Amino acid sequence: MITAEFLHYRNLKIDSLSIKPGITTVIGPNGSGKTTFLKLCAGIIAPESGTIMIDNLPPRETEIGWVNEFPDRNILFMNVFDEIASPLRFRFFPCDEIDQDVRTCSEALGITSLLKRSFRDLSGGEKVLVSLAAALVHNPGVLILDEYDSHLDERSLTKIEQGIMMSGARYVIRSTQQMDTAIRSDHLLFFDSGLITLSGTPDYVFPFLKDTAYYPALWEC
Amino acid sequence: MVRITLNQISTSREYWSISASGTFTKGLHLVSGDVGSGKSTLALMMCGLLPLSAGNIEREEIKTSTISLQFPELHITGLTLAEECASWGCDPYVLLDSIKLTGKKEMSPLTLSRGELKRFHLACVLAKDYDLLLLDEPFSSLDCEEKVKLCARLEQKSQGICIIFTHEQNILPGVNRVWEIENGTLVDCGTPPDAFRNWHHIPPVIKKLMVLGSIPRNISRNDLQEAVCRIQE
Repeated sequence: MITAEFLHYRNLKIDSLSIKPGITTVIGPNGSGKTTFLKLCAGIIAPESGTIMIDNLPPRETEIGWVNEFPDRNILFMNVFDEIASPLRFRFFPCDEIDQDVRTCSEALGITSLLKRSFRDLSGGEKVLVSLAAALVHNPGVLILDEYDSHLDERSLTKIEQGIMMSGARYVIRSTQQMDTAIRSDHLLFFDSGLITLSGTPDYVFPFLKDTAYYPALWEC
Repeated sequence: MVRITLNQISTSREYWSISASGTFTKGLHLVSGDVGSGKSTLALMMCGLLPLSAGNIEREEIKTSTISLQFPELHITGLTLAEECASWGCDPYVLLDSIKLTGKKEMSPLTLSRGELKRFHLACVLAKDYDLLLLDEPFSSLDCEEKVKLCARLEQKSQGICIIFTHEQNILPGVNRVWEIENGTLVDCGTPPDAFRNWHHIPPVIKKLMVLGSIPRNISRNDLQEAVCRIQE
């Protein structure tokens, strides 16, 4: 269970929150605190006050995979293979083990043909897939994706959705502005002005959002 | 009558190429296509910012034109929001009020959040009318409410040719014509709803509505809701 108690960071305030294992999707307007919440879950930033725990451990003591809206900003290496291998190399894994793990992960995501390519030459969808591979190659318990889909087409999204489903991560936490993606979640959190105003399954949350831009067009069909 | 005609224009890079023919007339046009298919490249060629490898472009009665790039930071020339507004010929007080950024005119544009910067940039672009307006991924980084507002704004535009290059699938304005880039070629799918039959990048929502026997008149959110209501009746 991911739990937050009296969590406070700038305009974000969460008195109490529990998230069960599965896919949690964070939705809401720009500036409502979604990215701040994801960064707190990832341990990229620390709370100003309060706590956030993942299975009773602080985020910084948990294996976390992170995918950014703009993968270029997180890239460390020019070559795709080197980028995917980097989390394992930083842990001093044996070379043959690294090679095997990179290939297994790349095959699962269907990107083995990209391994020799330069990251800079990839399309936007391919960049997200490579970032996803780099996030998954060390089998994180928590996979966090911040508006990863805002620059992707439907075909790339389908591939990435499959990658998320087969990731094996105990917790997937993602933010999106695509409500058709949000439908496919175990838990939805709606943020507004730094507060979680709605929390529950899509069946529970979406009826409250009827007549807003966040209501999926086909929800009632 | 304003018109832009692409006569077998093309360009290529190491891993792909794009070619395009067709005529765009007054109204709203949607160009869809996968990431990396060449939408941005086509927009740059149509705007005259990228040289053509072959073919030519004819522009009729197009005296003013501009392009909005996918990444708004690439447009920034002013050190403050006020300077940036001025560079587009806009009154900062009026413009910033209209997008809920009142009182921020002395801030650097680069201190805004990504969503705010996109909103600000689009407000600058849409403050004037152009004979040819090219919008590259205008919906990316906007939240759902802002996407709906942008659609309303685009639908109100009555002058010139406006071409939206996007992969957005859920919140779109009603358009006069649908195009797509498929296998490296620009394809004219036609006018909605007839265009839906030929459109490979048709949004899943419209596809599902068609399967359910309710064909929306166009691609706007209102058109989709009206088609959903028909099913429920």
